[in-house]
Amino acid sequence: MTLPKSEVLQGTLDLLVLKTLDAMGPQHGYGIARRLEQISEDALRLNEGTVYASLLRLQQMGWIGATWGVSDHNRKAKFYAITRSGRRQLAREAAEWARVSRVIGRVLSLATER
Amino acid sequence: MRRLRIMITRLAGMFRRNRTDDDLDLEIDEHLRALTDRFVRQGLAPDEAARAARRQFGGVTQLREAHREARGLPLVETLRRDVVLGLRMLRQHPAFSVAVIAILALGIGANVAIFTVVNTVLLQPLPFHEPDRLVRIFDDLDGPGARDVGLSVPEFEDLRARTDLFQDVSAILPADVALAGGDHVERIELLGTSPAYFDLLGATAALGRTYHRAEWQPGFLDEVVISDGLWKRQFGADPHAIGRQVRLDEDSYTIVGVMPPGFRHPGPTVSGDVDVWAATGFLAPPFPTPAVRAQRLVPGAIARLQPGLTIDQTERRLGALAAQLAQAYPTVYPARLRWALRLEPAQASLTGDVRPTLLVLLAAVSVVLLMVCVNVASLLVARSSARGREFAIRQALGASRARLVRQLLTESVLVALLGGVAAIVVLWLMQAALVARMPPGMPRLAEVRFDWRMMAAALGLSAATGVLFGLTPALQASAGDPNRDLNEGGRNGGMQSVRQSRARAGLVAAEVALSVLLLIGAGLLIRSFAATLRQPPGLNPDGLAVGQIWIPIPNNPKANRYLTVPQRAAFVRKLLPELAGLPGVEQAALGNNTDVPFLGGVAGSRFFAFRDEPSEHRDRHAVEFGAVSPAYFSVLGTRIEDGRVFTDLDAETSQPVVVVNEAFVRRFSQTQRAVGRRLVDGAGRELEIVGVVGDIRGRGLDATPQPRVYASIFQSPSAALAVFVRTRSDVSTIEAALNPIVHRIDPELPVFGVRTMDDLMAESMARRRFSLQLMSLFAVVALLLSAAGVYGVVAFAVGQRRQEFGIRLALGARPFDILRIAFRPGLALTAAGLVVGLGMAALMTQLMSSLLFGVSAHDPLTFVAVPVALGLIALVACLVPASRATKTPLMRALR
Repeated sequence: MTLPKSEVLQGTLDLLVLKTLDAMGPQHGYGIARRLEQISEDALRLNEGTVYASLLRLQQMGWIGATWGVSDHNRKAKFYAITRSGRRQLAREAAEWARVSRVIGRVLSLATER
Repeated sequence: MRRLRIMITRLAGMFRRNRTDDDLDLEIDEHLRALTDRFVRQGLAPDEAARAARRQFGGVTQLREAHREARGLPLVETLRRDVVLGLRMLRQHPAFSVAVIAILALGIGANVAIFTVVNTVLLQPLPFHEPDRLVRIFDDLDGPGARDVGLSVPEFEDLRARTDLFQDVSAILPADVALAGGDHVERIELLGTSPAYFDLLGATAALGRTYHRAEWQPGFLDEVVISDGLWKRQFGADPHAIGRQVRLDEDSYTIVGVMPPGFRHPGPTVSGDVDVWAATGFLAPPFPTPAVRAQRLVPGAIARLQPGLTIDQTERRLGALAAQLAQAYPTVYPARLRWALRLEPAQASLTGDVRPTLLVLLAAVSVVLLMVCVNVASLLVARSSARGREFAIRQALGASRARLVRQLLTESVLVALLGGVAAIVVLWLMQAALVARMPPGMPRLAEVRFDWRMMAAALGLSAATGVLFGLTPALQASAGDPNRDLNEGGRNGGMQSVRQSRARAGLVAAEVALSVLLLIGAGLLIRSFAATLRQPPGLNPDGLAVGQIWIPIPNNPKANRYLTVPQRAAFVRKLLPELAGLPGVEQAALGNNTDVPFLGGVAGSRFFAFRDEPSEHRDRHAVEFGAVSPAYFSVLGTRIEDGRVFTDLDAETSQPVVVVNEAFVRRFSQTQRAVGRRLVDGAGRELEIVGVVGDIRGRGLDATPQPRVYASIFQSPSAALAVFVRTRSDVSTIEAALNPIVHRIDPELPVFGVRTMDDLMAESMARRRFSLQLMSLFAVVALLLSAAGVYGVVAFAVGQRRQEFGIRLALGARPFDILRIAFRPGLALTAAGLVVGLGMAALMTQLMSSLLFGVSAHDPLTFVAVPVALGLIALVACLVPASRATKTPLMRALR
């Protein structure tokens, strides 16, 4: 089942964008969108515009920085890069996410044993 | 920290808006181009690829909007836009805007005005050091009219000795005094105090110094302190006035200080503000030496409690003191008199009697504001039906409901603030005129200022008002379903308008209910006023004028030319024939100043006993004593009920006689004819009752007459005399003629306070009239607002159904049938409003019972007349638009 577009959690998207920047290094919005499409294997369908909303939020938190540069196709593009506090935040969020999913996983497996 | 950072970037974002907007647009363009290229590579046609790219990207406008909101400070940002939009809306409908702003300015202004007074008089602490420790001390005896009888000097000394309870105690003796030394004698207001008075209040002089508790001595101190008012009036605000000698009642004093303009004595005075403060120990002449415990010379006292003591605790300990004293002096404090000491916070005792009036007015004016809110809300609801399409379009374009509500609220708060600003401007300009319209005798009126704090309160109130009246229309206008509203948005506005007219009807019903409440309040006050006027005053005020003469009392009895009864009686005998010879005067009399009805003076109560009472029942009663000349009752036009009044033969040397009033007979001599009975007064003199006269309601028409004993002025003349003349001339003629004849006898005697009795009576009713007028004004405003509301609802409903009425008429309906249908909404909501309003009134009029006189809080006449009158007015308000409905030409309705 694919989620309706609007139900992608904001926080989740922010986490994914942060992780993408961490893994791939500086990237422009289009690149991030492609990467998300690729790794989520179409399970996560989103309006690519929302990536920019997420980027703005992360920027305001100081977790990513932005500079203007030139893309592969030789065009002007804004490149976003994760900052040190962004990495710390990512680590915290990832750990939290792992913890939550572990708990949920346990609960769900209990339910199936009956 | 993080929040701060976001704030800062956002703040910066507000100013860099255009650049970042361009940045975002560039990013979006690049993104779309890349996506399109990708789809083209996957084999789509270029235009189809562009569409697919857009689909995948999502709403560009929404993103921009979200970006903008997230980037700038969204509240400030949208607020700015809403304000601009709101102003544009206001400009588009100037008539509507002006009407709404004017109504709001009225409601807000009236509220702020009343609140300014309430705030100053009731809420602001007295302008003294730690005012909550200031109290007034009262001596009470048993029975009505025997409260606050005053203290004797030994009692006061007992209180002064209780330093465990009071940090300071000061006796308070307001007095008339003749100020000499200027070009003419002037009667001024003197406050006799203890030397600790200013220490007690924690007040300092603006110029020079005050006297202090350490300067205590048995008699008057040489030092006096004068008010800012007297300093300007008599001394031309001369800084060298300090050290000047003034003559007060023939004694010389030195001015040592001038109080600041805002300083007011926190207690009652003879009339008006205190001009001179003088200190004494009350233990040397002119006060009797040695002091007599039974002689209650000092009318009152104020004190500062020791820190940490509450009023209740202190009062309990004073109870113990009173018990001790009663045991030590059983003849002075007989058990049946139940002598007691009572404390009141100085503020409450100063403002206590205006409190209910002010609170009722505040409540009434709040109801008016509430009605204004409801009225404006219903106007906005009506207008929002015209704006239904606008909202529908905006919602379709992606505006959230919260966004719409926010915008509408901004508009209404904006309107309210404009109304508030208008109110502030008007109040600021009319400040002095409004304060002057307050009834005289309202305490702390001089402190009333419309300052920045009140302006802030006005703006706050405006904003709250804006939210209050904006909320219903906003919620309701934004609740529409854009699809339907757009589709049906033709002539009749579809469902939206049905919902709106329902909301509006509810609001108008609330309006009717509130106006019932106000009208009943005003009705009860009107009925009370009428009942007051119906009370017989016990005198005939037509052509009656009074004036006062003060005979100075020098501190040295030897210097007093009017010390003895014969000396004062001789003056009275000399003056009386002169008075009768005044131009236009038919008849003249003299009396004590406390015998002037409606002046507010209270004669000190004196004890007496009946001679004929069996000795074991012999009791001492307290009653007010007056002293009048033979013609007094006939000048005033007071009935003689029994026996006779005084004659010239009731002179200094003959048997002392008295006349009593009917209240006296009712209280003390119900079973026995009063005439012929003999009283024994506190000094042991025997007084024969020779006559009974009707009650004069001198304390106000709405006050129960108190028992009173009149002595012959030849037998007990006082230093504070009053002149009574029945005349055909006007007051100014009398005043001009009175001065020379008094000064021919003695140029040192000030004549003052020449007034007509009509004037005095009107003044005694001033507060009642004031609350009546304001309340009636509020009620009329309420009536107009609710009539306009009912009219609006019916007119709107008729407009909506014009087509239907046209068809009905064409199909043969009689005009009466149409009228009935058109009436229905107006009548239904009026009826609902009346019922709710009557219920509210039944619950709430009890709160104003202290303002009522001679009428119950549930006066049936008022409770019937108001809904009937309101119903009739609503009927007219319905009839006008409804009758228009019956004249609908079919063709116009169908077109």
